[in-house]
Amino acid sequence: MTDLKERRTKVEVKNLTKCYDDLLVLDDVSFEVKEGEFLCIVGPTGCGKTTFLNTLAKFIPATKGDIYVDGVPSNPMIHNLSFVFQEPSCIPWKTVEENIRLGLEIKKIPEQEIKTRVEKVINLVGLQNYRHYYPRQLSSSMEQRVVIARSFVMNPDLLLMDEPYGQLDVKLRYYLEDELIRLWKELNSTVLFVTHNIEEAVYLAERIIVLTPKPAKIKAEVIVDLPRPRDFTAPEFVKIREQVTELIRWW
Amino acid sequence: MIAIKRSNQFYNFVSIAGVLLLWQLVVSAGLFGKLVPSPVAVFKEFIDMLQNPIGGRSLFMHLWFSIKRVLTAFITAVVTGVPLGLFMGWNKKVDAIVKPVFELLKPIPPIAWIPLAILWFGIGETPKVFICFVGSFVPCVVNSYTGMRYVDPLLIDMTKTFGATRRQQFIDVGLPASLTAVFAGLQNALSLGWMCVLAAELVGAREGVGYIITLGMDTANPAMIIVGMLIIGAVGAAIAVIVRRIERIVCPWKRGITS
Ligand SMILES: Nc1ncnc2c1ncn2[C@@H]1O[C@H](COP(=O)(O)OP(=O)(O)OP(=O)(O)O)[C@@H](O)[C@H]1O
Ligand SMILES: [Mg+2]
Repeated sequence: MTDLKERRTKVEVKNLTKCYDDLLVLDDVSFEVKEGEFLCIVGPTGCGKTTFLNTLAKFIPATKGDIYVDGVPSNPMIHNLSFVFQEPSCIPWKTVEENIRLGLEIKKIPEQEIKTRVEKVINLVGLQNYRHYYPRQLSSSMEQRVVIARSFVMNPDLLLMDEPYGQLDVKLRYYLEDELIRLWKELNSTVLFVTHNIEEAVYLAERIIVLTPKPAKIKAEVIVDLPRPRDFTAPEFVKIREQVTELIRWW
Repeated sequence: MIAIKRSNQFYNFVSIAGVLLLWQLVVSAGLFGKLVPSPVAVFKEFIDMLQNPIGGRSLFMHLWFSIKRVLTAFITAVVTGVPLGLFMGWNKKVDAIVKPVFELLKPIPPIAWIPLAILWFGIGETPKVFICFVGSFVPCVVNSYTGMRYVDPLLIDMTKTFGATRRQQFIDVGLPASLTAVFAGLQNALSLGWMCVLAAELVGAREGVGYIITLGMDTANPAMIIVGMLIIGAVGAAIAVIVRRIERIVCPWKRGITS
């Protein structure tokens, strides 16, 4: 990976402000995400992390300011992005396999390619024996794996993840964290990863943005310049984890 | 599991047999004189009606006339009402245009249209089909509309992240998500249509199950009336079963994995 500063800007957040009626949630937030960067966003609960991602994906309009992707206002119709929601978002009337295919079908990818790509990720998340199950026949961690597969299969160049691993047990989380890292390196995607879990953030991120409680502003930025694979017990790792914890504790 | 099923069937049987027995006892006790025929008398009447024409037509022809009216009206109502309801639920403008008129017409009971229907269409098939149509149309629209309004916005957002067009959002999420409600609507539409056809046939018809009931009244034959009523009940129940079967085929995700 080249130095962060030398890379092209992938996402530019410019003076982003969001109010729900009178409630100010995002207060004049500005930052950049470089191409191929792995950025984690941590912040206290209810501070506006989901709101930020939703504004980026254009589900809700910004009150002021805008978010640019590749220099133009973000737009899922033209940008190849994938979004993993905080809540379960499987389509109940589609089987596991049909759920995973959905994005590819919307983008009108040729059937042959859909088949190979789906086959690859369905094995990756370990659901190959459940391909004909409906979501209500799965456990919630399995359902979340479907959602993760559905976003990985897109080979997105911008991956937005809203606490995607909250539902999963530790072993599976570690496994999928490593898979995410692998995918990120392989595709050179840009990842915006929202989490509560500081250890997870330090394990994954190249850079961590720490937000203040609502209305969210940027409290601090922490560069995580550790070699991979990272070791949870290494003194450098622990030091950064303590540093971020301290930042969050200090209200 | 099987034991439970058996005992359920057993209770079903007990319930029907119980009602018949009670009915027979009440009649045998002579509580109502000649006004209430016994189950045996009704069954005899039924056999008689199967063998001899009623008003020049066989029992099955009468039944067929009623069913034909209901089905014609039902299909017309589904073809017009379901798309209308879905689009009202999907598109705010369509909703704003159609809703006020619809809300005003909706509470009018279908049979209130009978006088107008007769004035407009005379006494042939058209007014009867029209009344059934009015009855079926309303639940088609209302259920499709509600189904669409309750689509999970998260799923719509999810398709948007993949760049789905409005049309793709409708086909991938809006339509299938509404299907359950639409089917409940079809169920209602058929039973309402079936009620309406009787109402329509009670007023000036020469054929149909409603006519049989009127004939029974005119000839002071309560057994005939009761046979007519039981036929209505049986057909209504059969309709419900058929619609449920179709729903299970069209909405397979509501079934278990084994089937
Ligand atoms: N649609 C909405 N209408 C009004 N207020 C909203 C809406 N969505 C979110 N909010 C408010 O905005 C604030 C931020 O919500 P948001 O969901 O973005 O927080 P979050 O950082 O994702 O929290 P968590 O970590 O718990 O997921 C909350 O106070 C919430 O009440
Ligand atoms: Mg959130």
